[in-house]
Amino acid sequence: MAARFLLIPGRTSKQGQQVNVGKDEPAYEAIVTTLTMHADDMAELGVEAGASLRVRTETGEAVFRCQPGNIPRGLLFVPYGPPTCRLMGGDTDGTGMPTSKGWDVEVEPV
Amino acid sequence: MSCTLGEVKNRADLIIYWGGNPAECHPRHFTKYTIMQKGKYVPNGRKGRTMVLVDIRETPSAKAADIFLQVRPGKDFEVLTLLRAIVKGQRIDPRAAAETGLTLEQLTDLADRMKRAKFGVLFFGMGLSMTRGKHMNSAAALTLAAELNAFTKFVAMPMRGHGNVTGADVVLRYTTGYPFGINLCRGYPRFNPGEFSSVDLLVRGDVDATLVLGADPGATMPQPAIDHLARTPTIVLDPKVTHTSRLARVHITTAATGITAPGTVYRMDEVPLPLRPPLKGPYPSDEEVLRRIIAAVRKKPAWEPDPAGVMAG
Repeated sequence: MAARFLLIPGRTSKQGQQVNVGKDEPAYEAIVTTLTMHADDMAELGVEAGASLRVRTETGEAVFRCQPGNIPRGLLFVPYGPPTCRLMGGDTDGTGMPTSKGWDVEVEPV
Repeated sequence: MSCTLGEVKNRADLIIYWGGNPAECHPRHFTKYTIMQKGKYVPNGRKGRTMVLVDIRETPSAKAADIFLQVRPGKDFEVLTLLRAIVKGQRIDPRAAAETGLTLEQLTDLADRMKRAKFGVLFFGMGLSMTRGKHMNSAAALTLAAELNAFTKFVAMPMRGHGNVTGADVVLRYTTGYPFGINLCRGYPRFNPGEFSSVDLLVRGDVDATLVLGADPGATMPQPAIDHLARTPTIVLDPKVTHTSRLARVHITTAATGITAPGTVYRMDEVPLPLRPPLKGPYPSDEEVLRRIIAAVRKKPAWEPDPAGVMAG
């Protein structure tokens, strides 16, 4: 069953370095498809580190590999990349910038 | 109400990062400009400065902070508004503070520190400006910083993103008067974010061709915008193959500015820094390619609309 979370995409140091090495490298793919969540949330979903999760928004969906990390319960973190583009809505609320953080998402184990 | 990073280095004794993670995203910020340096009026360096981090999660930047305030997601505007009220000496309901994930004592302590500071600076990141509330959050942060000038010297500065985004804003401002979201179709600049900004134009399908300079929207923009780039003729100028160049009709390989081509990059405080290329390369600079495109376009006969108002094709 799908659980609801708040997804906070962001930047990381490793991702920034890898962008300059190349976005075609497997290392970049691994960085932008790794999702961090609270260990208790993972247990509640019945998944372990390395499991695949399907994340869905109103706009689209993407699959990530999960890992436990220091993040409050109910929140998810993932570095920006092509998978987060598929989840991002196009509405900018008149500002010119799409809402880039704080997305309501549905998550289910693949 | 802003300043250069040099002034921060030489004067700031209170440094607040809000909704940003400089330890990862601006790794030289701490060491070159803010908390670690000794400044003219902050001779003790780190010991003479207080660093506060406000965020919804404990990022690696929290290790560098003297005070970490963990706000509940989506409550930044409320925290900023409560701080404005406390700074003005208004009474606050502790329950209103509790809703933000912070206590009234924490908020009062921060407000007192801001008023007591000799020179305070509020750096705000995407966690404030690109989450729900967006420009309202940014406006609240800027208003708080402005109002603190009734008590002390206080400035605010956005933590600008990667590459030379500040340069794009600065150059568009001094050439058109506006920083982005500009329409030149009528022969003079018109500014309207949400209408003429690139994401909105692409998502709505208003444009039928796109020229991409120094950016990779194919790996950063929302999918509906990427889909439109793929549907219509897209031309990319970039030193490397990117997600955008793969969906483009034309990719012109250009020199890497600062490595094989000269140029100017604007620091986040809008200080221009000239770049001297250490290497020579086979590819033309973006500027050279654009000049050649402009010269070729000028040779073409002027386009005249059909007097009957009927679109060709």
